[in-house]
Amino acid sequence: MKILACVKQVLDSESVFRIRDDSDWIETEGDPRYGMNHPDEFVVEEAVALKEAHREVTVDVLTVGPHSASQVLERAVGMGADRAYHILTREEGYLAPFTVSSWIAGFAETRNYDLILCGIMAEDDMQGQVGPMLAEHLGYPCATSVVRETCRPETETIRVEREIEGGRRELLEIALPAVLTLQTGINRPRYPSLSNLLRAKKEKPELLDPARFPMPEDREQFLRAALPPAVRRGVVLEGDTEQKARELHGILKEMAFL
Amino acid sequence: MKKTRDAVVIIAEAQGDETAPITLELLALAREIQLAQPCKIRFLMVGHGTEATARDLARRTGREVVAVEAETLRDYNTETCLEILQEHLPGLSPRFVLMGQTPRGMDLAPRLAVRLGAGCITGVDALCVEEGELRFSRTAFGGKISLQMAPARSITVVTATPGAFTAPQESVSSQGSVRLVSSARRSARSRTLGIIEAPRQERGLSEADVIVAAGRGIGTRENLALIERLASVFPRSAVAASRPLCDQGWMDYPRQVGLTGATVSPKLYFACGISGAVQHTVGMQGSGFIVAVSRDPHAAIFRIADVCVVDDLEAFIPAFLALCREE
Ligand SMILES: Cc1cc2nc3c(=O)[nH]c(=O)nc-3n(C[C@H](O)[C@H](O)[C@H](O)COP(=O)(O)OP(=O)(O)OC[C@H]3O[C@@H](n4cnc5c(N)ncnc54)[C@H](O)[C@@H]3O)c2cc1C
Ligand SMILES: Nc1ncnc2c1ncn2[C@@H]1O[C@H](COP(=O)(O)O)[C@@H](O)[C@H]1O
Repeated sequence: MKILACVKQVLDSESVFRIRDDSDWIETEGDPRYGMNHPDEFVVEEAVALKEAHREVTVDVLTVGPHSASQVLERAVGMGADRAYHILTREEGYLAPFTVSSWIAGFAETRNYDLILCGIMAEDDMQGQVGPMLAEHLGYPCATSVVRETCRPETETIRVEREIEGGRRELLEIALPAVLTLQTGINRPRYPSLSNLLRAKKEKPELLDPARFPMPEDREQFLRAALPPAVRRGVVLEGDTEQKARELHGILKEMAFL
Repeated sequence: MKKTRDAVVIIAEAQGDETAPITLELLALAREIQLAQPCKIRFLMVGHGTEATARDLARRTGREVVAVEAETLRDYNTETCLEILQEHLPGLSPRFVLMGQTPRGMDLAPRLAVRLGAGCITGVDALCVEEGELRFSRTAFGGKISLQMAPARSITVVTATPGAFTAPQESVSSQGSVRLVSSARRSARSRTLGIIEAPRQERGLSEADVIVAAGRGIGTRENLALIERLASVFPRSAVAASRPLCDQGWMDYPRQVGLTGATVSPKLYFACGISGAVQHTVGMQGSGFIVAVSRDPHAAIFRIADVCVVDDLEAFIPAFLALCREE
């Protein structure tokens, strides 16, 4: 069985950034930290766990991103993925999910994966579109928000539990090949192992030029990034910790919460 | 005559036999679109036993409801639903197809968009009009920025964040209409085996006056004790969490607040180390008074908080508790 795990590099949520003057994207200040999209850690874990549970499973990982994004491939190989592929884009910035999913589909088309795993959502653009769109490009069935799976390679099916409204779960049996988007909490992602990290350093990811895939036309237009409006105008407490604590204590007492 | 795409089609969701709240919120968005660009508003409902809900929806909104009754959707199935939508949508000449950014909408919208050759804008929380052109806003980076998007195709599939638009309180003059259609399509690639019911709701959360909620910012499991001590100074209080804490097993899922957890509206919501991603805030933005502690001054939670405490919670909470003890 061949598995493809799609992983994205994102800016650490606490990094300081501002909107670029041209409003085209953000720019970071100081010393930005990048890491693997949190939901994608569950993707790599699930793929590696499948490899451990079944015979003859290979796990490829793929990212679409700038040079620095190879960091997340290294981590994925460190967690136990076999081979890494990097569709190298020139710089950071907005990439439409339709474009990213088309490129991933172009990559996957000839490689006959049985199972393609994506995260439920990227923490930066928060689209939640790449996985389901990828399924459409390839003509595969798809289950989103998966919180549990049992793969049955011998019958070419996979059983999944997906999260639906009101905390309920839907049980499905899907024919392979298929795409799943995994919800966080489906497993407990492991830390990379030292031996795998050494291997990751030695075996560089295979670089692919996006120009080899068709560049789809925009299906919606990204105009600009902006600051969202405040909904309530709250007070921001000033002073040191002690002063802030006193002030909050006073407010909550006056409102009779204490 | 060339048929123009002149409708906003809302994909209606049912909750039991009734219209789900998100469907009426989508009507608010549809009317904003209609104000800027005159068009028809129609509902499309797909499922099994749709008639009662369709009549309810037509009566409540006075609008046209097309209900596709499918025996094959006795158990909901995404692949089957997609095939039916693909079959019936084009006949309604949609310019926009609206869904909720709910588990169902998130599952269907991107795939439907690809099938219709349409654009796809997910997680929309506001609409504005610039020189007659529609601009959809959606949040990104955990709510710290918003991305402005414009349609670029003749059809655009849009999903709206639950709670972002307010269901219109309109008096309805028309009876509306219901058109029932049936479909026997069934996907061969996916089979629904059943539904697992939700674990029992945490009653403590709905009954509490004060909810103290912990997020990933608490850092260690040991710090949960700090959160519990903080909750204990308030009468009628309960402890809750954001999703990552439940994923890690630090708190049980029934205590999770948000899109995929509980919706709460206590008198006071005290968020500790929670960044304020929309999937969390949809579950607590109806709270009476919101206090938020985060060390990130740009955290999105501060946009909805009444009192913003930019500080390290490991220092701030003990300082606050010390004052409570002094009394
Ligand atoms: C389909 C879907 C459904 C989801 N459903 C839910 C849901 O129901 N509920 C939910 O909560 N999430 C849900 N999520 C996840 C959601 O998108 C966010 O990832 C999540 O809410 C983030 O949790 P957090 O705020 O605790 O963590 P983070 O976003 O990591 O925020 C941590 C915050 O703590 C601050 N911090 C760190 N250290 C300290 C310190 N020492 N002192 C003070 N502050 C500190 C940080 O600056 C940051 O502001 C869902 C996501 C998807 C895609
Ligand atoms: N640039 C990318 N490279 C690889 N995988 C991606 C990329 N963007 C998105 N994905 C995958 O698609 C999921 C959902 O992303 P999104 O649709 O952008 O929210 C992520 O969790 C990844 O698994």
